[in-house]
Amino acid sequence: MSAIFPKWTNWAPLALGAVVAVIGGVVTAGVTLYCTPKHTRVGYEPVQPVPFSHKIHAGQMGLDCRYCHNGVEKSWFANLPGASTCMNCHNQVMKDDPLLAVVRESAATGKPIPWVQVHKVPDYVYFNHSVHVTRGIGCVECHGRIDQMDEVYHAKSLSMSFCLDCHRNPAAHIRPTAQVTHLDWQWSTNAAEAAEMQATNGAKFVHDWKVESLQSCSACHR
Amino acid sequence: MKNNSNHLAPGVTGRRYWRSLDELADTAEFKEWLQREFPQGASELEEGVSRRHFVRIMSASLMLAGIGVMGAGCRRPEEHLEPFGQQQENYTFGEAQYFATAMPTRGGAIPLLAKSYEGRPIKVEGNAEFPGSNGSTDRYSQASILDVYDPDRAKRFKNGGKIVAPEDAFAALAQLSQAAATSGGQGLAFLTDRSTSPSRHRLQDLISQKFPNAKWFAYEPVDSDVQQRAATQAFGQAVHPVYHFEKAKVIVSLGSDFLGTEDEVQNHIHRYVQGRKPESGSMSRLYVVESLFTLTGAGADHRLRLASAQIGALAAALNAAVAGSTFTAPAGVDAKWISECAKDLAANKGAVLVVAGQTQPIEVHLLAHAINAALGGVGTTVALHPVTPSPAGNIGDLAQLLNAGSVQTLVLLGGNPVYNAPADLNWAVTQRKAKTVVRLGYYEDETFAQTDWHLPAAHYLESWGDAVTSDGITVPVQPLIQPLFGGLNELEFLARIAGETQTSAHEIVRATFGGGDEDWKKFLFNGYQADSSPATVTPGFAGTVPDVKGAAPSASSLEVVFYRDAKVDDGRFGNNGWMQELPEPITKITWDNAVLLSRRTARELGVENGDLVEVTLNGHTVIGPIWTQPGMADYSLGIALGYGRTVAGRVGTGVGFNAYAIFTGSYVATGATIKKTGQTYVIATTQHHWSMEGRAVVREANWAEYQKLPDFAEKMHGEEAPVIKSLYPNPLDEAKKTALHQWGMSIDLTSCVGCGTCVVACQSENNIPIVGKDQVTRGREMHWMRIDRYYTADPATEDTQKSILEQDSFQTDEKQQFAAWIDEVQAVNQPMLCQQCEAAPCENVCPVAATVHDQEGLNVMAYNRCIGTRYCSNNCPYKVRRFNYLDYNKRPLADLKGTLYPTAMLGSKTDGELDIVRWWRDPNSGMRTEDEWDLIKMVKNPDVTVRMRGVMEKCTYCTQRIEHAKIKQKAKAGASDNVRLRESEGTVPKTACQQACPAGAIVFGDVSDPESSVSKLKALDRNYTVLGDLLTKPRTTYLSRVRNPNPAMPDYREWPHSFEEYEKHNGNPFVNTPESAQKGNS
Repeated sequence: MSAIFPKWTNWAPLALGAVVAVIGGVVTAGVTLYCTPKHTRVGYEPVQPVPFSHKIHAGQMGLDCRYCHNGVEKSWFANLPGASTCMNCHNQVMKDDPLLAVVRESAATGKPIPWVQVHKVPDYVYFNHSVHVTRGIGCVECHGRIDQMDEVYHAKSLSMSFCLDCHRNPAAHIRPTAQVTHLDWQWSTNAAEAAEMQATNGAKFVHDWKVESLQSCSACHR
Repeated sequence: MKNNSNHLAPGVTGRRYWRSLDELADTAEFKEWLQREFPQGASELEEGVSRRHFVRIMSASLMLAGIGVMGAGCRRPEEHLEPFGQQQENYTFGEAQYFATAMPTRGGAIPLLAKSYEGRPIKVEGNAEFPGSNGSTDRYSQASILDVYDPDRAKRFKNGGKIVAPEDAFAALAQLSQAAATSGGQGLAFLTDRSTSPSRHRLQDLISQKFPNAKWFAYEPVDSDVQQRAATQAFGQAVHPVYHFEKAKVIVSLGSDFLGTEDEVQNHIHRYVQGRKPESGSMSRLYVVESLFTLTGAGADHRLRLASAQIGALAAALNAAVAGSTFTAPAGVDAKWISECAKDLAANKGAVLVVAGQTQPIEVHLLAHAINAALGGVGTTVALHPVTPSPAGNIGDLAQLLNAGSVQTLVLLGGNPVYNAPADLNWAVTQRKAKTVVRLGYYEDETFAQTDWHLPAAHYLESWGDAVTSDGITVPVQPLIQPLFGGLNELEFLARIAGETQTSAHEIVRATFGGGDEDWKKFLFNGYQADSSPATVTPGFAGTVPDVKGAAPSASSLEVVFYRDAKVDDGRFGNNGWMQELPEPITKITWDNAVLLSRRTARELGVENGDLVEVTLNGHTVIGPIWTQPGMADYSLGIALGYGRTVAGRVGTGVGFNAYAIFTGSYVATGATIKKTGQTYVIATTQHHWSMEGRAVVREANWAEYQKLPDFAEKMHGEEAPVIKSLYPNPLDEAKKTALHQWGMSIDLTSCVGCGTCVVACQSENNIPIVGKDQVTRGREMHWMRIDRYYTADPATEDTQKSILEQDSFQTDEKQQFAAWIDEVQAVNQPMLCQQCEAAPCENVCPVAATVHDQEGLNVMAYNRCIGTRYCSNNCPYKVRRFNYLDYNKRPLADLKGTLYPTAMLGSKTDGELDIVRWWRDPNSGMRTEDEWDLIKMVKNPDVTVRMRGVMEKCTYCTQRIEHAKIKQKAKAGASDNVRLRESEGTVPKTACQQACPAGAIVFGDVSDPESSVSKLKALDRNYTVLGDLLTKPRTTYLSRVRNPNPAMPDYREWPHSFEEYEKHNGNPFVNTPESAQKGNS
């Protein structure tokens, strides 16, 4: 009877298991790496209708984010500036530059500039800018170093787990409210010291300002 | 950001794609395309491109497209953000703006605060700043916002049914004006709806001056003009009565549904409940005499069901009894009822109020005024406001002129006379006798076909105007948006007819107002003109008391009562889906009207629910379904006006039957007969079962017992299951310790009258779809909150009650119409919405944790997580969860009235599994048409998810409002700990139902704050939980209902019927208490 199953069949289940494990692992890893927001969103960098550089405006010239995004402390929406805001400076600076023709036209006719949306959460997520920036969550936490970007790209995943990482532990991210729009601000240039100061001050802010660690559905979904 | 908060110039309104087509037509490319016979490249390849090269380019672009799909295609589609060209000052995108305005009604106006989001109105609330207002509204104003976005609105200027340019219509108006100027208005007649607008009156006067021969007529099918006429006759000067129910101790309603369907209900309810607070130490008493069962009757302490035609005789008897003279009671009425009622009235001199209903003839009103005057009500409970009487004639006079051929031009302003004029005027033909008919109308409805010129009217939220409220205060009507379809405002329309050069409604209203710019700004900001109300007068009774005799109706000569519908009014809300689907407050019928009659009448006539009968009155006939209404007067038929529209639009056409077909101008008519047609009809009702079966769902007591046992409701708490210590502690117990607030709600059943305003407000706030009649019959209505109405009766008459419990419940629902107990009933109302149980049964059974608690005690729904198992709804003891069986938001309006139970259910467009086949063939089939989409999207609240098919939904205490308030407070707090919402600081939000409630019966707030109103209410003795014995620990609690009957009355009983029913089933709840000795009725 020994002839029915040759000896190598003893190893077959193990080999099959190993193959399944490898294939499963590769598929899982592939999906995790390439089909999650970290990869589908991060790096998205559409070409905008006006070659506006945040690196120049926010980085080199140090314009405060709120000069243009003036709704950020009042509304869920940070607001995109109207062309008339651009013209406050550009009616003097580069006032005949062909790159700004679209802006001048918009300011003159009221026809909006069709900026391409970069950062977006799903419709069922009710993210609110005002409550984050007024309570010590820096712009950089979600948008990255905008002040170093010529063309804005999606720097963080903005996935649900990304939100929850911070909501579960706000102390690790909270900063003095005066430093919210300073993208390059750090507690200290020494990384170890900065981490320690974040830990102590973060915990203090969370306690003093009664910052809630909101993880219930109603915080974001309505 | 596409919409500008400021209004666009008239030239650039209209649909985006039309605009882009127009713009396209001007471009060089388009012109070139027109000139070429074939598009470029269609017939030949361009120079320099060989075939081989072409193929290569094609392959390369395909490859690129492939990469694009792999790369960019995995991402979402590209979306654009379009900011203003010119930054707007004082406008923050994403934050709603509020503007004071008012909804004009026939006899006044309702001051409103309209919410505008991205430049479009999405919700109205009452203007709480208005003197005497509690910031509430009525049903109609809540629903009126949907009419702005009605895809069936009149959108085009038309001449003889053909579209014309607005300029041509204006030219026609100018011509009309010139012709009238030459002839002095000879042959010119106006038929208008009623209005209180000072600007409109000014223009009407101007037209009368310019064209002295022009004639004015006014018509309202449901007219409350009798109130003013009667008061004027009774007091010898032109006055309008305003009733102050809050100042009355004894109120008698003579067929007046002042809490339900009369004008000004929101004021009446607000005032009435102020006198009905048990904790204040005294309560007013309400006697109601009526034939229909109305909300007022449901709230009555003593209700006498009496045919409407006999109410006059009863009023005369009551007047005689008050005066102390002898009287004869109308047939079938206990004389003691009248004499004791009169005694109670006489004992409360100076605090009595007798009101007669809008359906009652002027004699009854005169009798009411006589009693009020005799007992010192005038000047206290009845405030008389001087008015200028309207000189307009009535529609009958106009019909005579038309028939005589003396009207050349007929101008119709509002109204829909072809549909709702009295049947004997044969209006469709009569109107045509004028040479030219010009109309400003909101819909292309029944009257549209009989007009020459039809101009689309603007909604009140689209136009400037003004109005005077019933108590004489001038209010502005401010537009929130430019007319969506370029409609015309009534002031602009009249100004053009008058030949004025100034035709801007804003300028007209501004000129009427006069005053300085600061005053004007203040007027608009406040939403009313302070001190604009004239002083009230207190003249003595100057009328003669009429002698009224009313014959009792009989089976061979039935009485018909035509009443204003609680939903569609006189038909004007016929195309409003929210109103059609709102359950009628008493019958709970949706999408229909019915012939209401009493059980006894139905038995004698041999008809039962759903039988289609022919009602014949004065030679006119109409066919409608029977509905047995508990508590109706015998031999009286109640028929709601406003249904049976033939040209209403996609929603309203063909709903119900048209009572105007037998209506000849008097609201109570006798001599009707009914005949069975042999056919039956399905009526969609949302509450099939009428009895509480002795359960303590609504708990009520009479005033005397309440004073002895204030916590009687708590004693009726059922036996709880033993508490077994759980291994898994409720996480809320832990979360409570650190959460900032704990939300809760208290609903006062003594205050609630069941008007249903909250239901419409909730629908508007929370993007609740309408489902249509077919779906309602399947029990799939989507209202997050409902008002349960139960009938209760003396257990001795509940002959079928015992067997009911043993029978199949579907059978029972059908059979209850035959049970004798429904003749003499009391009714109770109970708003029922998600109770936000702390130990929520729904949460335990959700396999995907789509419904869970948040730390503040809300039972929240994560819609995007719901997979639609419906276990939660199954496990909910309160039945407040709603499931989207179909994609109601995408269903075309025309499908709302689909056939009942179509045979090929799986083949229907949006139902069942074959959806995928439908989708494969055409992804857009069975969806809303584009015009519906464009408009319906605009009315949605952007703060609330629009749910799709397969998702469970329910009330979450308006979590969007809570979150908004919390975010505002936190943003304000910044780097401080002042993050808690406090009622004392006015930062706690109101839920939509609470804000709309005229009675103030719903109070929401933070139960962890001992100083909050809701905490104080929950501490009252009357507080109880519904089904609290299930240990669900609901956050919504109720305050028991207290009635205040008169012990001397013949129909007095020590306890309300509902308590007696409870006692019969469960025994005396006070047995084990020391107070049990005081308990009566056993």
